[in-house]
Amino acid sequence: MMSPLNSVVLYQLGPIPITQAVVTTWGIMIVLVVGAFLLTRRLDLVPTRRQAALELVVVTLDSQITETSGARPGPYRSFIGTLFLFILVANWSSLIPGVEPPTAHLETDAALAALVFVSVIWFGIVGDGVGGYLKSFAAPNPVMIPLNILQSLTRVFSMFVRLFGNVMSGVFVIGIVASLAGLLVPIPLMALDLLTGLVQAYIFAVLALVFISSTIKDGQPEAPETPTKKEI
Amino acid sequence: MTFDLWALGLQAANVLILVWLMQRVFWRPVAAAIATRQDTVNAITQTAKATQAKAEAALAEATQARDGIAAERVKALDAARSEAETAAKTILTEAQKKAETLLATAKTQIEKDTAAARKANAAEASDLSLVIAARLLDRLNGPAIQSAFLSQLVDAIAELPEAEQATLTDTPTGIEVVTAKDAGALRAEIEQAVQSAFKGKPKLRFVTDPDLIGGIELRGPHFSLRNSWQADLSTIRKALSDAG
Repeated sequence: MMSPLNSVVLYQLGPIPITQAVVTTWGIMIVLVVGAFLLTRRLDLVPTRRQAALELVVVTLDSQITETSGARPGPYRSFIGTLFLFILVANWSSLIPGVEPPTAHLETDAALAALVFVSVIWFGIVGDGVGGYLKSFAAPNPVMIPLNILQSLTRVFSMFVRLFGNVMSGVFVIGIVASLAGLLVPIPLMALDLLTGLVQAYIFAVLALVFISSTIKDGQPEAPETPTKKEI
Repeated sequence: MTFDLWALGLQAANVLILVWLMQRVFWRPVAAAIATRQDTVNAITQTAKATQAKAEAALAEATQARDGIAAERVKALDAARSEAETAAKTILTEAQKKAETLLATAKTQIEKDTAAARKANAAEASDLSLVIAARLLDRLNGPAIQSAFLSQLVDAIAELPEAEQATLTDTPTGIEVVTAKDAGALRAEIEQAVQSAFKGKPKLRFVTDPDLIGGIELRGPHFSLRNSWQADLSTIRKALSDAG
């Protein structure tokens, strides 16, 4: 068994090493995009069961975004939803024999965390402007600026480490157990790994949404205080 | 433990591309389908609301029209009733007037008929009484009565103006002496008394006329001296007729 901390380079594309995680990611991308394309080919006004299930996914995601951030789901749906689906499918790809989930490698989780970091900046600037985004570091008061900057880095780092640790550990444990106790013994652990994969995908997506929405809220101007009776 | 920055960059690019692709082939189409259905449902709801509002407006209009028709019907019925009452009053008044006129006419006619009947009855009664009287007098027509009538005739002749007496005396056709029955034995006496009364000798011709009932009359071409029961009864009838 190979260490999950090491990346397996399958081939070299010029100076770029193509690792197994990257190839698996491409496979997941193809599966997701082709699957989505096939599923959404014939969307009608009167939905079929398939369309109803797809709409249920979208509506559930939209309601989650609305409940969490209080904002319209449109701008965040694609990013948050794709993050969730990719991480879920990547986590569950460990069930296919011979396939190692990309999320069990540092580079993939770091890339996801980096994307969340960039998206927080992007959505913060789009939502509140550059000034508003920068102002979000001064919430609740300017004394907190260093801590907020540190927090914006550490929370992303914690996301990356959490996802990597959970998935890697699952794969690692299953690998050890499988090597020790044969074929059937790891099955309960694999089932547990399915649950862990789902939970981790959900946690990663929700945290990304919370970070984005909190940045936007902190960057917005403070609401005027309720006027007193004397002012009225 | 190794950390491949190329892999980091590739994975980041992969996920970004995946986000973009999924947005195009999954999230946007499904969200658009949901939005389309919501829009359709909203449009149908709006149409249904508009149709309902239209139906309610039509119902209100129909109700108003029905109320209007009912009010118009009541008005028309009132007008017809009033007109009928007026017409009935007019007809009743006219009928009353006509009845009163007919009644008055009938009363007048009845009064006229009553008067005429009374008059006719009176005339008939007088005629009957005269007939009775004539029959009674006819039975009394004896010589004493004739003598009385003769003396009355003589008095009447004496009352005539002398010129008239002379004219009658000179009448070439003579004077008719009319009696109810043949004078018989009184003829000479009558002739003598008449001639004495005329103070001359007129030509006398005796004629019998049963209609006289009793009495002696003188008649000429232009003269008549009535002195009989018939003359008296005629006078009485005339008097009764004039009185009636």
